[in-house]
Amino acid sequence: MHRLATFKGLLPPIDRQAYHEGLRAMAPLGVAISVWGLVTGVAMVNSGLSIPMAILITLTVFAGSAQLAVLPLLATSAPLPIVWVTALLVNLRFVIFAAASRKSFVMLPWQQRMLAGYLNGDLGFALFSRRFADDPQRGTPEQWGYFYGGALVNWVAWMGSSIVGILLGGLAPTDWGLELGAYLALLAVVIPMVHRVPVAAGVLVTAAIAVATVHFPMRLGLLLAVLAGVAVAVGVESMRPEGQPHGVVAVASDIADEGEVM
Amino acid sequence: MGSLAYLLAATAGLTVVTVATRSSFFMLPARIDLPARVERALRYAPACALTAIICQGVFARDHQPYVSVHNNEMWAVLAAAVVFAKTRNMIAMMTVGMAVFTALRLSL
Repeated sequence: MHRLATFKGLLPPIDRQAYHEGLRAMAPLGVAISVWGLVTGVAMVNSGLSIPMAILITLTVFAGSAQLAVLPLLATSAPLPIVWVTALLVNLRFVIFAAASRKSFVMLPWQQRMLAGYLNGDLGFALFSRRFADDPQRGTPEQWGYFYGGALVNWVAWMGSSIVGILLGGLAPTDWGLELGAYLALLAVVIPMVHRVPVAAGVLVTAAIAVATVHFPMRLGLLLAVLAGVAVAVGVESMRPEGQPHGVVAVASDIADEGEVM
Repeated sequence: MGSLAYLLAATAGLTVVTVATRSSFFMLPARIDLPARVERALRYAPACALTAIICQGVFARDHQPYVSVHNNEMWAVLAAAVVFAKTRNMIAMMTVGMAVFTALRLSL
């Protein structure tokens, strides 16, 4: 009884019908989530992580792009601050998602807000913001139900496929160049992001500086390349502001529409 | 790969990063907004960070730039990028990338 009450304390009131609607809306995306999870799981083990460590990372970190991005850093024992900052940079898009959808969650107790935020990945955010874009009410059991229906499908598909990938990755020989798989998977995240001139300029500058500074100590070239790329992208955008999305909600849905997964 | 303690510390920090970014504005008081200038920088950071990781992994070897016709991973990634840009099909992209890499590796 007590345990059930504690568990319920983590969830807001949920409308059952909307919850089932959320399940049904996310279900077709389960295939794409599973492919991505499978690739991430295989890549983690092939980069040299043990199976238990890879499963621990999957269950706790719960952010596919960041997990893949830090693999080459973990494999070479890069300094921890570099590992964390790299994951932070990759995850900064979630800050925009949180700012864009906060109005539906701010009235909840802090532990419910924290759990909802933790589960607010790319696809869940995209579905949620599209479904309730024109809803004048913010923070209803209907919205929370829809959110948790989608979040549950996303979590189960991601965790299930990642763990299958981790177990499969343990079976394959590591000299197949499968660590290349991690870079190919990240490529699938980056390419849809590069759909406007400012970000294309930023990415090109980042690429050139990242390669030129690869010998810098403690992988500091990585951070330098990102700072320069972001500065160039912001500069190019300010030179040609027409056609760019403005305001946090527009920017967030623009990012979510790029079709990123996790 | 690092030691167990290193990996556990890395994992703990990475989990904090996930919670801190995803829950960020859910936890902050309503009066704190995301300034437009900051929002713009945040918008571009993920694409640049992922690009930097890919480029330092693929266009470098032993901490030196490695942009050469002999760089098999480079050709694999370029081929995969073209396939994904045209098809948006992740499985096709990974198959082509791995096939190009394996073909080049076995032919040399």
